[in-house]
Amino acid sequence: MAKILFINPVVREEDDPRHVPYGIALLAAIAMRDGHQVQVYDENAWRKGPEILKQVCNADRWDVIALGGITTAYGSIKNIVRIARDECPQALIVLGGGVLTSLPREMMGFLPQVDVGVIGEGFITLPEILQKVDAGEHDWENVDGTISRNSDGGLVISAQRALLEDLDSLPYPAWDLFPLEEVYFPNSQVLFSEEGMLAKRRLDINASYGCSLVCRYCYHLGIAGDMKYAPDANNELQVSFDEPGNYSRSIRYHSPEYIVGLVKHAYEKYNLDFVGFLDENLMTMDQYSKRTWLKEICRLWKENGLQPTCIRDGVEHDEHCRGVHWSGTSHATLCNPETLKIMREAGCSHLIYGYESFSPHVMKTIGKGATPKTNMRSFFWTLESGIRPIPNQIIGFPNEDFQAIYENMDAWKKLGIVVKPFFATAYPGSEWFTTYRNWIVEQYDGDLEKYIQDLGDATRITAVISHNFNAVELLGLRELMMNFDYKRIEEYEQYWRRNHNIPDGAPSTIFQDPVKNKAKKAANIRLAAGNSGSH
Amino acid sequence: MSDLLKGNFDTAKPVVDNSEDGQTLEQRFEKEALKKLGGSIAFVAKQEVVWGDEDAEQDD
Repeated sequence: MAKILFINPVVREEDDPRHVPYGIALLAAIAMRDGHQVQVYDENAWRKGPEILKQVCNADRWDVIALGGITTAYGSIKNIVRIARDECPQALIVLGGGVLTSLPREMMGFLPQVDVGVIGEGFITLPEILQKVDAGEHDWENVDGTISRNSDGGLVISAQRALLEDLDSLPYPAWDLFPLEEVYFPNSQVLFSEEGMLAKRRLDINASYGCSLVCRYCYHLGIAGDMKYAPDANNELQVSFDEPGNYSRSIRYHSPEYIVGLVKHAYEKYNLDFVGFLDENLMTMDQYSKRTWLKEICRLWKENGLQPTCIRDGVEHDEHCRGVHWSGTSHATLCNPETLKIMREAGCSHLIYGYESFSPHVMKTIGKGATPKTNMRSFFWTLESGIRPIPNQIIGFPNEDFQAIYENMDAWKKLGIVVKPFFATAYPGSEWFTTYRNWIVEQYDGDLEKYIQDLGDATRITAVISHNFNAVELLGLRELMMNFDYKRIEEYEQYWRRNHNIPDGAPSTIFQDPVKNKAKKAANIRLAAGNSGSH
Repeated sequence: MSDLLKGNFDTAKPVVDNSEDGQTLEQRFEKEALKKLGGSIAFVAKQEVVWGDEDAEQDD
């Protein structure tokens, strides 16, 4: 059976490692279930540098070195595959995750050391690759969901891998192969709520895959049904994602029994006190299940003795509390007071809301299906239930303007929101990236890889997609917004209007919707063609 | 001997980490200071220092 080394690359280097990589933990469990010899080196947790990585590569004769991650792990992945190739020339290097999936051809070009890329979900694809390794076969084009190199060095994309329907067939993640006691439990704290702040033994789980919404900035790692395969003009298969007006989604979730069974297993084995749900959007799943999914999870949570004792006894949470608090993601339009109350009763401490903006004209353009009104409604519903809403905000939307800035500051003041907004960032795989790719690459001297290497968690500015503000303006405006410095922003608005020849009273924007413009241009071309045909 | 590799079998060779945590005290300090950067929290990134700067020497 294959000898496989999983390596978890470094991500968010500026912060401590806080999250066991759920995908790698699942894939390691699958490989062990199938009888393979598995080792995990968690570079993100240990951060020991190249000398230790070389030792890891030489610790055995690896058949496969597998790694993956999100796009922001690219810099670390690039270093790892260089060392892995030098130290282990015999090993098959396999790369998966969002970093590969979002730009398969480009990544295989940037990383010539990678032999096989796994596009989209790896739950079936990786075991099939390992079977081929055991059989001594290398016809990767016959393994769905891969990109590989042919004998001429050209890239070959195999057929699209179907998503796994029966999620409950997945084993529990192989958490034991990660440094829980050494690294992850000491970094359990999450500063989103009192219970999160006091967490000492936290693990994260993923209860569902996908999201029904079409937010322009979002990317789903190829596991939400948003990925499409189609031949290009040269008849080469290309992988694409959301494009304006062209969306597809697949909603999948574990049964409440699997989820609570997993948490109970972790509670008993590791003495957990907190679970973070990594799901894109818990409320999407709940709505899709006709409001039964979360209710059943919460019922089973209590039935299995996981309800925190502070909630059961109606006392303030402290370090003596037993049971498991938890957190997740919500959505302004899809939540309701009844479900929130049930969630709180089961131990939910905070819910992340991507409110993004409190400006109506900005909200209209982002595909979220929410409005400032539903943002505020859900905000109060959540507070009333006893759960802390985490009101994420973004600045630098394509049509962000002074009006939006004032509307956001007004809302923050009214709602007591203390926030340092993210910068609007077009991650590969998102609709924004599809729409603005050329402009983004221009900002990096035509070098896409430079942009990928620069991407972080959107708290730092990278490529700007705002039509009205440049990077310097956005940085300054964010600082002034946080200080509610209306006076200086208004003064700057006058200066900005003079620069752009926009009179007082007119909308403070030079935004032109690229999607509408494209459609208008196409219509004009059709019209012109029709006219010329009539002559 | 360390437990940097975790798996379901014993590897042919161990991975030996001789450093306490892989970072020097200097690296640890600069990382922690960076997290709180702002106002009076400022520091010299010692690996970034250009020694023997000509302009500074001329001023002397």
